Amino acid sequence: MAELLVIEGLTKRFRGLVANNDVSFALAAGELRCIIGPNGAGKTTFISMISGHVVPTSGRILFKSRDITKLPVHLRARIGIGRKFQTPTVFDNLSVYENIELAVLATPTPSRGRHARIMRTLDLVRLAEQSDRMVGALAHGQRQWLEIGILLAGEAQLLLLDEPTAGMTAEETHSTGELLRRLVRELELSAIIIEHDINFIRDLKAPVTVLHLGRVLVEGSFADIERNEQVRSVYLGNA
Amino acid sequence: MTAEIQPARRGVFRREDVAALAVFLLLAAIPLATSGYVVYILPQYMLLGVLAMSLALLWGHGGIVSFGQAAFFAIGAYAMGLVMKHLTGMAINSAYVGILVGTVGGGVTALLIGYFLFSAGVRAAYFVVATLALSIVVEQTVKSFSDITGGWNGLYVDRMTVTLGSWLELSLFDDAPIYYVVLAVVVPVYVIATALMRGRFGKIVVGIRENEDRMTALGFNVPMYKTLVFGLSGLLAGVAGSFYATHAQFAHPVNAGVLFSTQVVIWVAIGGRHSLLGSFVGAIVVASLSNYLSSIEEIQNYWPLVMGLIFIAVIVLFRGGLAGLVEKLAGKGAHGRAAGH
Ligand SMILES: Nc1ncnc2c1ncn2[C@@H]1O[C@H](COP(=O)(O)OP(=O)(O)OP(=O)(O)O)[C@@H](O)[C@H]1O
Ligand SMILES: [Mg+2]
Repeated sequence: MAELLVIEGLTKRFRGLVANNDVSFALAAGELRCIIGPNGAGKTTFISMISGHVVPTSGRILFKSRDITKLPVHLRARIGIGRKFQTPTVFDNLSVYENIELAVLATPTPSRGRHARIMRTLDLVRLAEQSDRMVGALAHGQRQWLEIGILLAGEAQLLLLDEPTAGMTAEETHSTGELLRRLVRELELSAIIIEHDINFIRDLKAPVTVLHLGRVLVEGSFADIERNEQVRSVYLGNA
Repeated sequence: MTAEIQPARRGVFRREDVAALAVFLLLAAIPLATSGYVVYILPQYMLLGVLAMSLALLWGHGGIVSFGQAAFFAIGAYAMGLVMKHLTGMAINSAYVGILVGTVGGGVTALLIGYFLFSAGVRAAYFVVATLALSIVVEQTVKSFSDITGGWNGLYVDRMTVTLGSWLELSLFDDAPIYYVVLAVVVPVYVIATALMRGRFGKIVVGIRENEDRMTALGFNVPMYKTLVFGLSGLLAGVAGSFYATHAQFAHPVNAGVLFSTQVVIWVAIGGRHSLLGSFVGAIVVASLSNYLSSIEEIQNYWPLVMGLIFIAVIVLFRGGLAGLVEKLAGKGAHGRAAGH
């Protein structure tokens, strides 16, 4: 598998605070990866640098072998980097349909094909029934799914998902895991998922990267991570 | 539910189109039924209606409030007057050049200002202040360069003549001909602006109003779209100004200033900022009403106060303005959606 995303020595300083410290990382095309770590570990900062919302102090980001370290957010989105924010960032005053439509408008889809594409996406994230509802009226979990739908409709190839199951019931969390695995398999997408929910992470059956104090503490399978003494002490000590 | 939204999605007919047809047919019929002052003054109000639309597409769709619409209107008006005055003895109809310069002038000025402000990330209140300043600058400019602009006396502008090569020459000196020419400009302006705002461009602009961060993260160049919609708004204000000048036969600093810009905001708020038709009608109704109130002796001194109270009442009682009220009374149609609430 070819590397989709390569990160070399990424560091971000906020004045005195080092939020990311010399992080190196690689993600293969079609790979699903989990990032975990205690609060303040630098997880959001890390994906903000990949999406372009935060400019790194030093280091390089390569996407499809292209250096995108200095590319603005909207241009990264156009080459296939889609971000779901920690607080759902959707169009609350528009309908579910219109939300997805705006994402489709960001792609070169010809006007004749838009409606079908919107409906297909709505089916995928199980919101077809809610098509005409205002997004502000949706349940929290549905808003999360909608934001994932927006990324799909926007033809993202790399999904950066910041706590996608926050506010979901156990049942919703479980189906989110299934959805993500299906997307990666069927649409050949790649995803980096920040999560706190241990059951969800276990279900994903994906490799895990643990961040702590801005550094990569350890990387490996969920089973490895679960057994790792350092990880245990970080979580017991800080969380 | 699906049945309700489908026609709107296919973009064929909406309730607002029926209302628009009724409004324009009514406007077309008025000179047939009556003559005199009403037929004289209505084209000016229709052009103020276009000015109101120029703000509605910016404010209602884009969520960007501008107190600079008068500036673009004045650019259109003075361009028309100056070109008609100085461009003489040419083979080409100077009024056409005036309209072109006025329209493009309004649009390009807005594009340039929009470009600088939006790419610098200026938003909300700061943007409002910048547009206020623009109105002041244009007003002061036309007052100061009185050799060229006539200063506080205003600039006399000729009534234009419609020509078509050598086989048509139609003077617009009388009320009815210019009435219909103005109507023939206003209708396509409305139709084109409506089509634009319902299409891809308008939807993107609404998306930016609703959530800029999401739009950027989807790959849209937000400052560019803001600049474009501001440019379009300046363009419409410029067209309105050009025709207004030749109809009113003057261009005047009062049509450039902050006060006039504020009136535009009021028309649009009353008419309904989410609806181009609503703001168009709002401008005509409010301008007629102000005119009428100011002519009644008993309240002559109070009419601005009366207008102010009406304004406040509308804002407090129905935030969607008259268009929002009509929509609510007619039952919630699918068309209000795209414009959002
Ligand atoms: N814009 C900023 N300015 C200053 N400090 C920041 C900024 N963004 C993040 N930080 C700091 O950087 C550190 C890492 O924050 P980050 O949001 O990346 O953590 P996180 O791992 O996502 O935490 P959580 O699990 O709580 O979401 C924190 O100490 C945070 O306070
Ligand atoms: Mg975070």
